[in-house]
Amino acid sequence: MRKISLNLLLLAVSLSVHCAIARAQDVFIIANKDFADSQITSAELRSIFTGVRSRLSDGTRVIPVTLKGGPVHEVFLKNYLQQNPDEFRICWRKAVFTGKGSMIRDFSTEAALFEYVSTVPGAVGYVSRITDPNSVKILTVIR
Amino acid sequence: MTARKVLFFVACIWPSIAALDLTAQDLENLQIHGFATQGFLYSSHNNYLTMKSSDSSLQWTEGALSVSDALSDKLRVGMQIHMYEMGQFGGPNVLIDWASGDYRFDDRLGFRAGKVKVPFGLYNDSQDVDSLFLWVLLPQSLYPDDNRDYDLAELGGQVYGGLDLGTKAGRVLYAGHLGNNTLDAKGGYMQNLAEMGLTFASPPSGTVYGGDMRWLTPVRGLEVGASAANYTLDGTGPQGTFHLPGSIALVYYIQWNRGKLHLAGEYYRDPITPSFNTADGILLVPQDGRAWYPMIRYDLTKKLQVGSYYSYAVNKAADTSVPENYSKDWVVSGRYNFNSYFYGKLEGHFLHGTMLGYYQDTNPNGLQPNTSMLAARLGFAF
Repeated sequence: MRKISLNLLLLAVSLSVHCAIARAQDVFIIANKDFADSQITSAELRSIFTGVRSRLSDGTRVIPVTLKGGPVHEVFLKNYLQQNPDEFRICWRKAVFTGKGSMIRDFSTEAALFEYVSTVPGAVGYVSRITDPNSVKILTVIR
Repeated sequence: MTARKVLFFVACIWPSIAALDLTAQDLENLQIHGFATQGFLYSSHNNYLTMKSSDSSLQWTEGALSVSDALSDKLRVGMQIHMYEMGQFGGPNVLIDWASGDYRFDDRLGFRAGKVKVPFGLYNDSQDVDSLFLWVLLPQSLYPDDNRDYDLAELGGQVYGGLDLGTKAGRVLYAGHLGNNTLDAKGGYMQNLAEMGLTFASPPSGTVYGGDMRWLTPVRGLEVGASAANYTLDGTGPQGTFHLPGSIALVYYIQWNRGKLHLAGEYYRDPITPSFNTADGILLVPQDGRAWYPMIRYDLTKKLQVGSYYSYAVNKAADTSVPENYSKDWVVSGRYNFNSYFYGKLEGHFLHGTMLGYYQDTNPNGLQPNTSMLAARLGFAF
């Protein structure tokens, strides 16, 4: 009986790990509801999150925000910027220490990031799950 | 304030910042960031960059603190103080690295004024920020550490921006600048002039203007560009006058970042003819400086990077077979990031020629044509 329980426990752990990995394959790109478009090109997204641009093609000002770290942050960087966390941090530190920009705003939790994006016009970020789809705009990334 | 006091100050405030869970203090739009590093050099023969490197030297300490605030969507102001002690260069004084107001109309056009960093080549404006690089020493043929305080920044203004060329053509970034600059009294150029017997009540100064154009190509990670800078210098001392007429320095560069692989290279040319007017007459010293390097970096793991470059510089206006007129440097390097803040670097240099980085004061018995050198650096940034 104990062995069966142990096997069930291992199965449950295995399934939850598998689901976590599956969830971590991609993230939702979210923006404040004032975004005119619900699509963004991968080139635009990359430019915004590397500090090259601060506005969309239509002139809308954007404020990129990220998580401080963790697997969701790493998935976003890998899938959309093709960077690792150190490269990403160095990219923004370069802007700061050369006087050409400010450090990107980051959050410790997805909930805090989601709250910021939902309340600040122009904010754009990412989360692994959408808790309240009506409070943000989910962007489709065109590759 | 001495260098160690600055580092002590930064070290003291760091736990407070961490305790407040403010990795970079962020009170709405106010941001405070900084970095500090300690370097080490050990060379087989000659003393490098005025350090007693042949005996092994720790005479290389740097630190900086930057404060900036976005006053509006378009206006940002900020300042960075910086100190460095590298052998006889730099010193205990805290210098203003940059201090500027930055008004960006949109991504196509912005202005920056104050003490601003000079865009030239891939790394000129960031060469004093050690935490950005794998290398302990950037290629000295283009980014000589002994002269960087003059090369880094100017008092003046910049216009900058970027233009989309369409989804299939990428984007172009541009910058133009105009200003005034003065030789660093505790830098390498002044030391060179002193070794020629010229001293100045106040360091020579002059105008600087130029521009940079960078194409972010549609090939992901591939960037190419060119920069130009025209600069003049004039100074008067007890022994006579020093004059550098306007001369244009040019650099072409390319870099490609693809996954874990990073490639870069630059070619630089700077023909100048400084003149010295002394009691003995007018002396013209034509120089035709040329330099280039190829560079490769590979990220072995998330924390460990390795790389190599070959840096070459030569004065084509002189006898290029003489070691004092060229410099060749093979470099292998590694960097380990302990965490988001702390890192360590280790680097080997195989130097041939004595054109760059050596001074009579610290090499009174003359120079050997070849030197091997071990360089290391520990640093943190937040």
